[in-house]
Amino acid sequence: MRLINHVLILLIFVFLAACSTYILKPADFSWPIESVLKVDNKGNIEEQRYSLIIRVKSLYFQEFADSMNFAGKEIRMIRDKAGYIFMTGKDFKNVYVFIPVEGGFKLENKILISEKNLSAPAFNQKLQNIELLDGTNKYLLNNKGLVR
Amino acid sequence: MKLNGFFFLYAVFASLLFSQAITAQSDYEKTQNFKTRFKQIEDGIKNAGSLDECNMIDEHIARLRSDFTPDKTLLDKSLYPDNFESSFAKIERALEIRKGDFAQIGELKTEVGSLKDKISDLSQQNEGLLSQIKQLQILSSKDAQTIASLQKLVSQLKANIAQRDELVRGIVDSLLAEFVKTPGSLNDAEKQLVFKKVDSGNLFFNIERTISDNIQFMKVTQTTPQDLSNLKKQYSDFNKVWHQIGPKLADVYVSRKEKASEIANINNMFADWNNRLNDEIWGQVNKLFREKQLAVLPFKSGDQFVNSVNSFVDDELNNLPVKGATQAEKTFYTFADSVYFKTVQPTWIPILVENNMMTSANKDSIEKKITSWKTKAAPGAKMNWIYIAGVIVIVLLLIAYFTKGKKKVVVVQEPPKTEE
Repeated sequence: MRLINHVLILLIFVFLAACSTYILKPADFSWPIESVLKVDNKGNIEEQRYSLIIRVKSLYFQEFADSMNFAGKEIRMIRDKAGYIFMTGKDFKNVYVFIPVEGGFKLENKILISEKNLSAPAFNQKLQNIELLDGTNKYLLNNKGLVR
Repeated sequence: MKLNGFFFLYAVFASLLFSQAITAQSDYEKTQNFKTRFKQIEDGIKNAGSLDECNMIDEHIARLRSDFTPDKTLLDKSLYPDNFESSFAKIERALEIRKGDFAQIGELKTEVGSLKDKISDLSQQNEGLLSQIKQLQILSSKDAQTIASLQKLVSQLKANIAQRDELVRGIVDSLLAEFVKTPGSLNDAEKQLVFKKVDSGNLFFNIERTISDNIQFMKVTQTTPQDLSNLKKQYSDFNKVWHQIGPKLADVYVSRKEKASEIANINNMFADWNNRLNDEIWGQVNKLFREKQLAVLPFKSGDQFVNSVNSFVDDELNNLPVKGATQAEKTFYTFADSVYFKTVQPTWIPILVENNMMTSANKDSIEKKITSWKTKAAPGAKMNWIYIAGVIVIVLLLIAYFTKGKKKVVVVQEPPKTEE
């Protein structure tokens, strides 16, 4: 009986080891500078350096409740060290944090920056965090929200 | 004093605000600023018009480097696929190449300057020689001494013209090299360079003068077939180069009307030069027939030459019964042996064919016509039978002589002596 218990415990260890996710670490996904991308007529943005095309039409609906008024507008986008994508734009109140998933970006967090619209937002890479500038205002963000 | 204190405080406050604004600059903006200034320098290098401008750009590069050295780490990452150092290496190399171009242009300018001096010397000499030749030709009594000095002057003029043509072509060639180096349309700086080169070499004037002197030379001197062949080659070479450079110069000078009209004038002068040369060559060939009182219609092209010979021969054959066989035969031999096969075919036809003034087919058709004329006009055919009969008789006589002259040789064999 005792032997059976030992065998069962061993089998549980083997099962747990087999179920754990295999991760290559550490990784640095950070983009040195933000990308400023123009939305085309179909609602897509294209980042040539990182070979990325994504449809952001629904982001305008999220922010302005208007999914038609996007063509020609600019989206500012940056990726932090952990791999989260931060997006915002002129007249936005929020910064959207996404994580890439199969076939798209999954919304991880929506950070309210100010009740007033951002007039000239810009992202900077700051070690583990992302800095958001808006005129003379400066904010420090991560995927969880406002750091400062 | 109190006011000064407030002023100081305002200044400190303003500088604090300003410094905050500076520190609040986005990395993207910094990168874009760098890229904008970098692009301005690149354009500056491309459009630089002198070595001094290049040296000024050198200073701009140094300033850009010092302004952005604090952001080197950022730029190393954001200037992908280049980095901070490789970007500077790129523009510094481009600037060195541009400086090299100006050094080369400087050398060319000096070269063109010396060519210009030589050309004006030769042009003056040519003018003097031409007037001397004209004066000597006016003299009614030309003694041996006059003729000798005329010949000497002509050969000197010929050498001078050839030398001057070569110098002018040197300038044209160096301009052509400039166009080859920068194919496609030239930018403003490159256009300025071409203007300078054309002006400093007084190019248009010199080309016009070269053409007019060559035409003048033909007018005042007796040209030989060899002279005309050389002149035609000179024309073809020069015209070929001008055809390469003329349209490009016309593009460059499209906004300067007086220069554009000069280019058009040079095109006309080239056409005139060619026409005069062709007229001279055809004129001399026509003259050969006229000198022998052969009424060949005047011609100025290969086809006309064929038609004139054909109609002359046809006329001759039609008039054969009226003129009589002896006269017709005489005309044929004068035409064929004294003119065509003696001078036209060996001397002029190669020049005409080589310069595309007539074709080999034209030549063949003339010679075919002469052959058909010979069978009818020259009784050479009858004579041939007499000659053949004569030859046969001579051969028969020789055979008879040898067979008759052979004597039979009788061999007498003595019987062998028997020993007793």
